[in-house]
Amino acid sequence: MIPLSGTSNLQQTTSYKVVLPFYVYASICFLVSSVLLLLNVEIVQQHYFHPHTLAIVHTMALGWGTMMIFGASYQLLPVLIEGKLDSNLLAYISFGFTAIGIPILILGFYLFHTGWMLQLGAIFVNIGVVFYLVNVLSSIYESSKHDIHAWFIGTATIWLFSTTFFGLLLVFNFSKSLFPDNSVAYLSLHAHLGIIGWFLLLIMGVGSRLIPMFLISKYTNTKILWWIFFLINSSLVSFILLFLLNAKSSFYYISLALALLGIGLFAYYIRMAHLVRIRKNVDEQMKISIISVGQMLLPLLILLIILLVLPANKHVQIAMLYGFCIFFGWITAIILGMTFKTLPFIVWNKVYHKKAYSGKTPVPKELFNENVFHNMFLAYLSGFILFISGIIILNTILLRIGAILLLLSAVLYVYNVAIILLHKPKKI
Amino acid sequence: MNEDIHVVTNDKEKCDIALEGLYEVDDPEVGLNIVDLGLIYKIEFEEEKKRVFCEMTLTTQFCPMGDSITSNAIQALTNSFQGWEIDLNLTFEPAWDFSRISPGGREFLGR
Repeated sequence: MIPLSGTSNLQQTTSYKVVLPFYVYASICFLVSSVLLLLNVEIVQQHYFHPHTLAIVHTMALGWGTMMIFGASYQLLPVLIEGKLDSNLLAYISFGFTAIGIPILILGFYLFHTGWMLQLGAIFVNIGVVFYLVNVLSSIYESSKHDIHAWFIGTATIWLFSTTFFGLLLVFNFSKSLFPDNSVAYLSLHAHLGIIGWFLLLIMGVGSRLIPMFLISKYTNTKILWWIFFLINSSLVSFILLFLLNAKSSFYYISLALALLGIGLFAYYIRMAHLVRIRKNVDEQMKISIISVGQMLLPLLILLIILLVLPANKHVQIAMLYGFCIFFGWITAIILGMTFKTLPFIVWNKVYHKKAYSGKTPVPKELFNENVFHNMFLAYLSGFILFISGIIILNTILLRIGAILLLLSAVLYVYNVAIILLHKPKKI
Repeated sequence: MNEDIHVVTNDKEKCDIALEGLYEVDDPEVGLNIVDLGLIYKIEFEEEKKRVFCEMTLTTQFCPMGDSITSNAIQALTNSFQGWEIDLNLTFEPAWDFSRISPGGREFLGR
């Protein structure tokens, strides 16, 4: 018998069976979004309340961003909240409902079927989100410590539910008058609940732990993290209040300033972690993740231009640029980078868990093709830059080339994810 | 024992044998072995009971590879000391810090 007296000190990781379906699903959604973008590049010249725009945005926000975050957070919950995932069963159920609901919802938007199709999709998505919410909150409740990272993930999850539930009400508002105005009037509120409350808060909470961890940097500053948490939540709450009070657009500078301060502080936090890192050579997965931190500022700068410079009749067009920079910008960049930091470990743990000593096993980063990753990175960055240039000067050729490059990056991404998932143990 | 490696022990000769095996165990994320990384705090031996006591840590308590690293450390010690009982204690006090990385390890990491 071999006693291992200190194992109770070790946090248990979540089973790969819970996590991998989310990665597969999200990868397919990224591919689908990129195809839809290429097929519909002309929509950037139209109002953002266009069925195809709504379909693409929801494929990116729910199918790509949210499903990937669901999977990654189930895996990383022990790291983030210093406890274990409360229930694998709830995780499977959350996958089932969201995985069924998302395509129904997207098809509903694409065909603009405002009746049962959108309603059914939204109901399924909401049920899935409720199971995720219960699982995350009960895991946090059961964990021994409730530090800042637990606050980030818990609060972000509550904002997610606020977003999807409000989205459900907006869907029903199409056919029954639940609100005084048409659903389109509430889109910015629905979008910002999700963008600021869910994506920004969660990515900051996860990033502030994972980026220093992968850089092997011991930089921690809980005070700064609490300030970021306070600033981002204040930004969102002030936005909601201003929206509900029908305030003048100049008042929105308050929300914008709070968000800019929060993101600025987060960028400073990551910069400090980067400066005192012990690992000098930063790999490409981390580089793309760090670039995404810079990309967080881009949509807010665009928003500033919208408010400061452009007349109200140009706001709709620039809103496309704003949305694109969020969904195909920082959310996509951080997922592209972090997928290849987390997924190889999950699969490596599954395949080589107890074999690493018994000979030369590949290290996790050898589970995917680095050349393919490098080309994906280049295709993504050039596609992103060309597409935003195309939106700014309304040039269809640039938009098409940008969309083709983004599609190429999605194909290379899916290829590399497939290589990892299909990895067979090498003979030792 | 390499002078740059600081491990508490009551038997230097056996400790060298133990470390030789542990040099083969890598932290998969860092790509560096756990000895140069400074994860091994103590290796002691009880001749009468034929027992090896190893105290080690991880770079972070929430290391997703922790289970794999400790299992492989036990396997390495079992291979080096066949017929001995291996008692591995995972501790986070004191917490690991960069000063524990050996000069060779720092060179490997580009520092």
